[in-house]
Amino acid sequence: MDLELSDDQFELRDNIRSVLEGACPPSVVRAVYEGQGTSAELWQQMVELYWPALGVAEDAGGLGMGFVEVGLLAEELGRAAAPGPLLAMVTQYIPMVEAAGAADPLAAAIAGETIGALAYAENGRWEPAAVAASAEGSGDAWSVTGTKGAVLGGANADVFAVVARTAEGLGVFLVERSDAAVDVPALLDPGLELADLEFAAAPATVLLAPGPDAEAVIDAVASQASVAMALHVIGACRRIFEVTLDYAKVREQYDRVIGSFQALKHRFAEMYLAVERANAVGYYAALAIAEDAPDRAEAVHVAKAAAGDCQRLLAQDGLQLHGGIGYTWENDLHFLLKRAKSGDVLCGGRGFHRARLAALLGLGEAA
Amino acid sequence: MKLRFDDSVEAFRAEFLEWLAVNRPPAEAIEADPPRSSAYIPEWAASFTRRMFDDGWLVPGWPPERGGRNAGPIETLVYLEELNKANVPRTTNPQGLGIIAPSLLDYGTEEQIENYAMPLLRGETSACLGMSEPDAGSDLANLKTRAVRDGDNFIINGQKVWTSGANFADFCFLFCRTDPDAPKHKGISIVLMPMDTPGVTVRPLTEIISPEYPDLNEVFLDDVVLPVSNLVGELNNGWAMANGSLAHERSMVWLMGVMGMESSMNELLAEAPALLASLSAAEQATAADDIAGLYIDTVASRCLGYRGFARYVKTGSAPEQALMKMYSTEIRRDLLQIAAELRGPAALPTGLSRHGAVGSLDAYFTTFGGTISAGSSEIQRNIVAERVLGLPRG
Ligand SMILES: Cc1cc2nc3c(=O)[nH]c(=O)nc-3n(C[C@H](O)[C@H](O)[C@H](O)COP(=O)(O)OP(=O)(O)OC[C@H]3O[C@@H](n4cnc5c(N)ncnc54)[C@H](O)[C@@H]3O)c2cc1C
Repeated sequence: MDLELSDDQFELRDNIRSVLEGACPPSVVRAVYEGQGTSAELWQQMVELYWPALGVAEDAGGLGMGFVEVGLLAEELGRAAAPGPLLAMVTQYIPMVEAAGAADPLAAAIAGETIGALAYAENGRWEPAAVAASAEGSGDAWSVTGTKGAVLGGANADVFAVVARTAEGLGVFLVERSDAAVDVPALLDPGLELADLEFAAAPATVLLAPGPDAEAVIDAVASQASVAMALHVIGACRRIFEVTLDYAKVREQYDRVIGSFQALKHRFAEMYLAVERANAVGYYAALAIAEDAPDRAEAVHVAKAAAGDCQRLLAQDGLQLHGGIGYTWENDLHFLLKRAKSGDVLCGGRGFHRARLAALLGLGEAA
Repeated sequence: MKLRFDDSVEAFRAEFLEWLAVNRPPAEAIEADPPRSSAYIPEWAASFTRRMFDDGWLVPGWPPERGGRNAGPIETLVYLEELNKANVPRTTNPQGLGIIAPSLLDYGTEEQIENYAMPLLRGETSACLGMSEPDAGSDLANLKTRAVRDGDNFIINGQKVWTSGANFADFCFLFCRTDPDAPKHKGISIVLMPMDTPGVTVRPLTEIISPEYPDLNEVFLDDVVLPVSNLVGELNNGWAMANGSLAHERSMVWLMGVMGMESSMNELLAEAPALLASLSAAEQATAADDIAGLYIDTVASRCLGYRGFARYVKTGSAPEQALMKMYSTEIRRDLLQIAAELRGPAALPTGLSRHGAVGSLDAYFTTFGGTISAGSSEIQRNIVAERVLGLPRG
């Protein structure tokens, strides 16, 4: 057993990081926040680098990397608080389309010709039981009715992969943007491009035929998305940690740097532990998924719940230890704080995953 | 990253398990005379240590003449895990096997190795670690016990405290001040002191739990005469050596913390459904959430420990190891607290057999041995902040 990243994995991470430092500095994030720019150019660059295809099998036209590598990309996107659809594409829509074996939509997605988003959660619940949206039809003629909330990457998506209920169980259906009512509210973190969707007998094609097999795929894709979101949150948190630590080494009060006060040193030790703890279980979960380990279900909930613990502390102390400068719009810190907090509530929050974990451990119902 | 071990490691594991099945000490013998002090060696432990030594399973990473088989670090990790899973205590003198013997092999003379280290490794003797003093706890370099050169001897005066196992040990790995004029860290030396040397008085300190079996001691030293040949390594180099020998320990000691946490968690999970059954729904939800949080810590301590270990094997150092001491001891404390609270008044009975039992307050209190000794949690946080994160001292 080796829980350290391999040399190749470190190299990939460093590559992604340096690309993002060039292509997605805080000024790019700020432009999106301030309505002075869009994520479109960044997205084009990522498409040219084949990043949407990172985890797609080689024979399906992808780069054939494993889920740990997908996790590295998700983490680095969090570190950059990157705006745009890549996170949604790589960790939600493309895995669903690939799992469904839908060659054409997959090819269009990895070529950047279509932007797609996975529409799963309703009323903030990231779980099968919450799916009330329904689908009716047969063969290639279906229609979907219902609502979906906080759809990641939905704001700029051309097509939605909608999880909907039928008499045979859950299935996944493709609905064109023009057939849905798309509402994009003003958001704390506009870079996530969340959208609320409404479907009124929207024409749809079947992506995953409803039934137990589809439900297993939905569960697997949702689990992967949760772990990827955990790592995304952790990426933002690690960056918060780094900039806060750097600040504590230069900001002077009472004629000494604030990082020399023991009260703060111990808080940095706690923050460091929270980041490393979440990171270690986050990548363990990614590995458990990549290798289909027997404890993979527990590992998924552990990962997202630990990311939740991590963002609680890092967003709080990261802001607090900056003092007044951290409370300003001018400082870039808030992009990271907002990404960490937003990521926690997506794909099931800290409390949701702790309760699911407790249920798996035989400690009562997950309801 | 990968979840599996290589085939060669699995073959090593199989070989050890085969040996252990034949050679493990009988459970009844352990139960009749349990490990209860850091230096008391029951009959079964002495003979088990000897068998491990003879067959190269005592310290697998060492050469055969020292009780090993030149195994690599990953094999050693697997070996420690299997011993723990089998519930077999590797030693009843952890300071002797884990710190003192390796230090002697690193820094001792041939004669010291022959007369002090080898008997420890063969299970014939036990040793204690005389570092802390009344005014030298966290600030260990403040120690005042004096060793004054007198011809071919040192004359030693002073006092040690918290010396685990001094009441049973054959000798002490004693830290003394040999140069009172040098800066604190530069005037300390280590001497080997047989506990039956005239002038040595041991007074056991009864502990917070099980006062009938004290393990901590005060050790008073009045004009104790020791030959200069008992000096370990160079004069006034004791501080540097202490850091060297403790590093031995740290590369693996995290695993004990992780495995202890895991077995406590497994015990708690096995009992939890019955314990939860008598609670109201609201209490159940709180308890389930508490346990889920501790389960996350259990998994996290293993993942962090393993990742740090992999880094250590690759590069010789890993920042995770500084975190592991405070983290693994604190989560164990938290787990035993929650388990005891869940049990209510059933947590109150006390006695030796309940030391390790999840859900007894005995077990909860004994966890403070972990959070206080060998660099308290607060000191670990200072270390993380200053040495890992680079925050300024002071
Ligand atoms: C079970 C057990 C076994 C032991 N076995 C041995 C042994 O075999 N041999 C041996 O030599 N010693 C042994 N010790 C001693 C142990 O190493 C010391 O207890 C430890 O170093 C702390 O010293 P102290 O007890 O004097 O506490 P102090 O150093 O007085 O600390 C008191 C409190 O102050 C805090 N504190 C101190 N300095 C700082 C600082 N700079 N910043 C923040 N907080 C600080 C501490 O964390 C602690 O909470 C053992 C102790 C225990 C509990």
